[in-house]
Amino acid sequence: MIAQQLVNGLVTGSVYALFALGFTLVFGTFKILNLAHAGVFMSGAFIGYFAVLHGLPLWLALVLAMVGAGLVSYLVELAAFATIRGSGQIEFAALISSIGANLCLMSVAQRLSDTKVLRFPFETFPVRFYEFGPVRFSFLQVIILLLVAVLLGAMMFYLYKTSFGRQVRAVSGNERVASLLGVNPALVYFQTFFISGALAGVAGILIGLSFNSIHFYMGEPYLLKAFVVVVLGGLGSVHGAVVAGMLLGIFQNLAVAYLPSALTETIIYGLLFVVLLVKPSGLFGSEGVQVGVMRR
Amino acid sequence: MMNLIYTYQPLFDYFLLAVGFAFSQQMVLRAGVFSIGSAGFASIGAYGVAILVKNHGMHALVALLLAALMGCIGGLLLSIPLARLRGVFQAIATLAFVQIIVSLCLYFDEITGGPQGFNNIPKLVQTWHLVLAAVVTIYFMIRISRSAIGRAFDALRQDETVGATLGISIRKYHMIAFMLSGALAGFFGGMQSLYTYSIEPEMFGFPFLVAGLTYIILGGRGTVTGPIIGAAIMSLLPELARPLADNRQFFQGALMMVMIAFMPHGVFDGLVLYLRKRRAAARDKIFKEGTNAVTGA
Repeated sequence: MIAQQLVNGLVTGSVYALFALGFTLVFGTFKILNLAHAGVFMSGAFIGYFAVLHGLPLWLALVLAMVGAGLVSYLVELAAFATIRGSGQIEFAALISSIGANLCLMSVAQRLSDTKVLRFPFETFPVRFYEFGPVRFSFLQVIILLLVAVLLGAMMFYLYKTSFGRQVRAVSGNERVASLLGVNPALVYFQTFFISGALAGVAGILIGLSFNSIHFYMGEPYLLKAFVVVVLGGLGSVHGAVVAGMLLGIFQNLAVAYLPSALTETIIYGLLFVVLLVKPSGLFGSEGVQVGVMRR
Repeated sequence: MMNLIYTYQPLFDYFLLAVGFAFSQQMVLRAGVFSIGSAGFASIGAYGVAILVKNHGMHALVALLLAALMGCIGGLLLSIPLARLRGVFQAIATLAFVQIIVSLCLYFDEITGGPQGFNNIPKLVQTWHLVLAAVVTIYFMIRISRSAIGRAFDALRQDETVGATLGISIRKYHMIAFMLSGALAGFFGGMQSLYTYSIEPEMFGFPFLVAGLTYIILGGRGTVTGPIIGAAIMSLLPELARPLADNRQFFQGALMMVMIAFMPHGVFDGLVLYLRKRRAAARDKIFKEGTNAVTGA
């Protein structure tokens, strides 16, 4: 029983991690909270759904969702963030602007779906189960875990082992110095938002498949969870988001199983509140983050 | 969700309620606190009033004043831990607060009705009550903005360090801002529950706080007139933009992006700033002409 809960939690958590990773990447690099990440996540699910509906194979739908959501995310950056860069109070402005972008995305999705809950055609994904002793995996769960592991690995490799990744991290450290050293910030903006969106898009289609429900409102709960994940892991910390995502997923599954389920949300957001007060830099946050947290 | 509300209720009444919530949101922003917790206080006020009036038969006015008091105490309590945080972190913490309130309202369904909502609340609030409440609130906002408290808020918003060196206690004034914001939200939350027959937890969630922020961004953060204009625009928008009906949300989102990019002070505050600048320029010109006349240049 408990092993099963742990496995389920790990699967949920890996999707949280995927979602939160793009969110924290943008925050870590540009110090802005991108609330439109919820909308990008949802567009991934929508693109995947319409691709499947038009008879494309699921793997192609997944790729399309990934690229499409990446482009949507870059579009958000152009429409919502490029316009306010350089104005004095980017923190506040970005929040408002991304809420606006999110509303736009949701409105488009609402029209596309006629405010209905969309479901994948029957047998889009084979329903199969594997038994390992007391634990039962569905085929989808296995795929999710594998896919997330591959994406996270690729992302880490990209950020920490390639020149592009070094450029992203350089801009995150100090944009002006980075551009003096010959880094093209425009390219970094594109890459960061594209990657962030692509991860969210995959998360979107995976969630759509797991619950077989896609609707224009699906991003908001995940966005709220992402806040918990990124704060717990340390805002802007990539490792932190992965570990915290897994932890949250496991915790949530255990809480639903062993505690009054309606109270789970209270506990999770209570946890967020307490973490912010006790250790605002999170589990893996750097000291640099702390400066922005505390009184100047 | 807001769509439904706008369609089925008289616009004006909702505009008046919106003004109250907009002021609550403005109060904290004005003091430089990046709190989006008004939704939580409104929820406390709404449920408090609904329970007191319906279950305990309390007089509506007494219940509303108690709701304001509850919001005020809530703000006080929330301000103590939040004194440590700034900026984005403050926003996230208050968002967590809002979510905690929503989930608690869902959990204690014996008291609150849970997801089905709290229904059959007597409709005791008429339009003229709302007008009265809005007028009193506007008067109160004007008095505050012209008092030492308002000036302290402005100083803290523009630069905390400078404010502190001028002898303004950051902790104290942030606490006051939270308390006033909480009291306003609690009061108007109570008004709303006595106006709409029924309330549900999700009414005071994320969309609620987005609406509150929109009023402020559209109208302006620094003046008393700003939030009123913002609330008016958002209330009238669905009527003015009938052809846009289905795209109202898209329009709202686009409006938010355009406003924050090109008119970051909002419609009214932007106008005030522009006029002030022009007047200053004109004065400079007159002054220069005067000097020239004297020196005979």
